[in-house]
Amino acid sequence: MDDYAIGVLTNVGLISFLALSAYLLLIAGEMSFGQQAFFGVGAYAGGMLTAMYGWPLPLAALCAMALGALAQFLVGLPTLRLRGLYFAMATLAAAEMARILFELFHFQRQLEGEPVGPDGTQGFRGIRWVFEHGVEPLGYLGIVYALLALALVAFLLVERSRLGATLRGVGEDPELAASLGVDVNRVKLGVAAAAGALAALGGVLYAHHNTYIEPRNFDIMLGVHSLAYALIGGLGTALGPLVGVVLDIGALEGSRVFHGYRMIVFGGLVALLLIWRPRGLLDERAVQWLRRRFS
Amino acid sequence: MAKTTLFLILALLPGLALAQAPKADLECRFTGTDFVYDCTIRLSRGGKPLQGVKVTVGADMPSMPMAHNVKPVKAQPAQAPGEYKARLDLEMLGVWAVKLRLAGPVRDQLILHYEFDSKGASPAHR
Repeated sequence: MDDYAIGVLTNVGLISFLALSAYLLLIAGEMSFGQQAFFGVGAYAGGMLTAMYGWPLPLAALCAMALGALAQFLVGLPTLRLRGLYFAMATLAAAEMARILFELFHFQRQLEGEPVGPDGTQGFRGIRWVFEHGVEPLGYLGIVYALLALALVAFLLVERSRLGATLRGVGEDPELAASLGVDVNRVKLGVAAAAGALAALGGVLYAHHNTYIEPRNFDIMLGVHSLAYALIGGLGTALGPLVGVVLDIGALEGSRVFHGYRMIVFGGLVALLLIWRPRGLLDERAVQWLRRRFS
Repeated sequence: MAKTTLFLILALLPGLALAQAPKADLECRFTGTDFVYDCTIRLSRGGKPLQGVKVTVGADMPSMPMAHNVKPVKAQPAQAPGEYKARLDLEMLGVWAVKLRLAGPVRDQLILHYEFDSKGASPAHR
């Protein structure tokens, strides 16, 4: 496999964490434009722990996930009381606040004569754990997909369980779920924490793949894309967001013939797809049909 | 004597490490074809040209991470020591994070932020 293919596949894997994170909130009935903030929290926390304090990547990733979960839980406490567009706007505002905080964040240590750590708008360079430990690009690709597979298995198990039914119930009709004894606010806060952890895991992996991060990496564009993946792929199953990512990156890479106009062409394709299938390709009806067909 | 040697080693270590970190700068010229640039990369370590390195050049747009998968190209050694040449085919004008992946005697990845316009590239002000 050449460098280009490995790079594209790694990006598909990394974005998938963000897409799954947005999907988790969508099935619980909330549309977040702010998952990039928790991706950023994970990237900064994981990068700081390995590059500045010499922590091993797995431990740093766990810590970053815990921080991502806590961050989204805290954002969720006031914002999950809002509904629909109001919640979407609140998450967008929270994510922009986080990006500005990353721009103001200067915290460096002198290591072997060089400053290492976040340096505001100049970003954070030298996240070199992967290089220092001799992990080749193909090996890193394997790590990303192994973790993604674990996340996906967890999703599929939850979706088939009582918890999965509760989540969809809360997402589709919170009043009805509450009347059946479900603590809607508690479920949504739990979902928010899990979504934050998942986005943060993607962020840690992104930072170590890229070796540098900067506040601009975590702006609104990434949040809109992450939401679009889930909506394009479909809300019927956790495989939907992954289909969305593959279609997104595939459409972008496949439309190279349009060169400078490819983002416009891609935007048009997304719009047409969402008119044709408003709940995405693998929506609930499609998933039911596939289950009947293959069971 | 041993204490003096140890002191000297400890005193010199940061300087040695600094000297060992590779540095790079970039000069790019617009080719006349949309978004295609001929680039010269100058690599050095401790102020001396860094030769015999395999350099792969890629690029990512900081404001749209992972959305642009620019095909990485292998840079070819130029005539001057420490100089390498590569042709970059970007997708749009603007600020790009140019990624230099070094292999061989030095294994590292250097990131350079440059603003590409209709003439060439200049270091991005951030």
